[in-house]
Amino acid sequence: MRFFETLRTANHNLFRNKVRTFLTILAIFVGSFTIILNVAINSGVNAFIDEQTAALGGDNFIMLMSKDSAAMMSEQMSASTGPQEFTEKTNTIGVLSDTDLETLKNIDGIDADSFYSPTPLNGTGYITSSKTDKKYNVGSAMILPPGNFNIPLAAGTLVDQTEEAKQKNQIVLPPEYPQALGYEKDEDIIGQTITFALKDEFDGSFKEFKAEVVGVEANGIVSSQFGMLLSRALYDEMYTFATKYYPANYEAPTYYVMATFDNTRFTEDEIKQAISDAGYYAWTINDMMGVIRTFFDVIMIVFSIFGGIALLAAAIGIVNTLLMSVEERTREIGLDKALGMSSGRVFTEFATEAILLGFWGSVFGVIVAMLIGNAVNFAVHQPGAFLEVFPTFELFKFTVGNVLPIVIIIMIIALIAGTAPAIKAARKNPIEALRYE
Amino acid sequence: MPNSLAEPWYNSKMNPVIEVKNLTKVYGKRSNAFTALKNINLTINAGESVAIVGKSGSGKSTLMHLLALLDKPTKGTIEVDGVESTKLKARKLNQLRNRSFGFVFQQFFMNPNDSVLQNVTLPLKIAGTRRKERHELAEKALKTVGLSERVKFKANDLSGGQKQRVCIARAIVNNPKILFADEPTGNLDSATGDKVIKLLFDLNRKKHVTLIIVTHDEDLAKLCDRQIRISDGKIVEDTGTKAVKAKTTKIAKETKTKKGTK
Repeated sequence: MRFFETLRTANHNLFRNKVRTFLTILAIFVGSFTIILNVAINSGVNAFIDEQTAALGGDNFIMLMSKDSAAMMSEQMSASTGPQEFTEKTNTIGVLSDTDLETLKNIDGIDADSFYSPTPLNGTGYITSSKTDKKYNVGSAMILPPGNFNIPLAAGTLVDQTEEAKQKNQIVLPPEYPQALGYEKDEDIIGQTITFALKDEFDGSFKEFKAEVVGVEANGIVSSQFGMLLSRALYDEMYTFATKYYPANYEAPTYYVMATFDNTRFTEDEIKQAISDAGYYAWTINDMMGVIRTFFDVIMIVFSIFGGIALLAAAIGIVNTLLMSVEERTREIGLDKALGMSSGRVFTEFATEAILLGFWGSVFGVIVAMLIGNAVNFAVHQPGAFLEVFPTFELFKFTVGNVLPIVIIIMIIALIAGTAPAIKAARKNPIEALRYE
Repeated sequence: MPNSLAEPWYNSKMNPVIEVKNLTKVYGKRSNAFTALKNINLTINAGESVAIVGKSGSGKSTLMHLLALLDKPTKGTIEVDGVESTKLKARKLNQLRNRSFGFVFQQFFMNPNDSVLQNVTLPLKIAGTRRKERHELAEKALKTVGLSERVKFKANDLSGGQKQRVCIARAIVNNPKILFADEPTGNLDSATGDKVIKLLFDLNRKKHVTLIIVTHDEDLAKLCDRQIRISDGKIVEDTGTKAVKAKTTKIAKETKTKKGTK
């Protein structure tokens, strides 16, 4: 019998006892629904983490700093520790000297050419536009680091890196600044000119700088690391003004260095160890993403356990349903076999029914999971909801690549569960079966 | 097909369809062993109508199951169309049953929630016949049993007599050589039973289907060309040869008469 014929017959037989079949499908649905949500949240979190990682140039990104700085940073990051007793060590930001930088550059595996130390603009300043009377804090502002930094944008482009464009006063704004500056949508501010002002520390007056907005950053974990991204020309102009009362030979101290390492030759742990051995500290992408990963890992483990238990119960349901079906249809099987149906085909028909149960259960699981997942995606980005600040973070991400394997795996589980009843059906002796009352 | 009067189509010497030699069937093992059939020798010829008669427990059903290749003999051989059945592989055996045999059962064995058409096409579906051809053949078979207008009916909505006629349609849809009928009228009242019997004998006479009826109904058995009586697993009477001769004469007479009138 041809493939579709088998499929049609199996489906027909399956829906003869609608209630029982529906309940079995429901059981599979619960399992597949849970597992698909789990896989979707896993994909969503990973996609978001990948995006954030890419913003920093990829997996091989490291931030190098002194151990003192690292100790202070971790002190600040662990919020629950409360006030700490003063020691010089925990209250010192270690400045990296030229000798320190040389030592770091000579560590095997670290790309010396990739060293980049952003110098934040210091000073009192505000940002405003012609559309608003309000003035806003600048926060951190720096030049876009050179290299493979793929900062996610909500609108526009990054600051142009060509030599010619570097001469222009251009800026990429952090999230939510366009709205504060009087523009409804992120797109509306692209190409508009906004005003920077820096305070002259000596006479208290404010000096204004004009800049063209070329892009708006999307919200993410790392956008706060960058702040405003300035073109070289704008940065230099403002830096010169901000440091005009400094000594002539003043050089801004280097607190940390962004760099890349050769991740084909070294693992993250190896490079961290090498840097630690040299007396410094390295902070990697995974350190940054560790917290968010741990949080979602726990969710995923819980989801997986529930999904697995539900699927196990569903598999037992399949066995039960098909065993009942085999008993009910004993005569029919006997007749089929008397009329020349092979045992192999009797097996195939029941196995196909099992696969179809798995198919329908998982397909309904996919559909409902997608409906609910997307509804949650929408809800968590509403004002006040917990992912409002991360518009690019799609919590549940459904792709063919993550949904299809689940459907196939559930169909395989169903097939395995259906094997015993199918063998029982295939072994029926036509004479016994026809005598069966 | 009869070519001439000198060579009737059902000539026993020419066309044995089933040949049974030294057939023994034992159920169970050792102390529980029960011998259902003992050393049966039997030849059934193409075009015959044979009644296997006996009381319940006599072994008549066992014999039918063995003749229909639904069961394997403990000893002895069964040849169908000259092919030794015990030497056939499962696939060939299934094919042989599917193509050469038709079955009519006392309890009908229909799929009650399926349509008449679905029930009738079952052997063709098993054979792998295409859908369109399946429907054509089923309609033809239903026409033969006089149920053309019931094609779309649910099998359960038919009367007992109609059900058995649908079963006959199912049995002949694959154009079998041999039709096995196990107490075909057992569940029917005498009027509808007669109709079914007429239908079976029409098939035997007009389409030359070999008819093997298992029954304990002596009246039905008498209608057959030949009666084989089973008791305690042995053939106690076989009217074989005589009946065939009688039939030969009868048909020869009929043909002569026809010729004469022309």
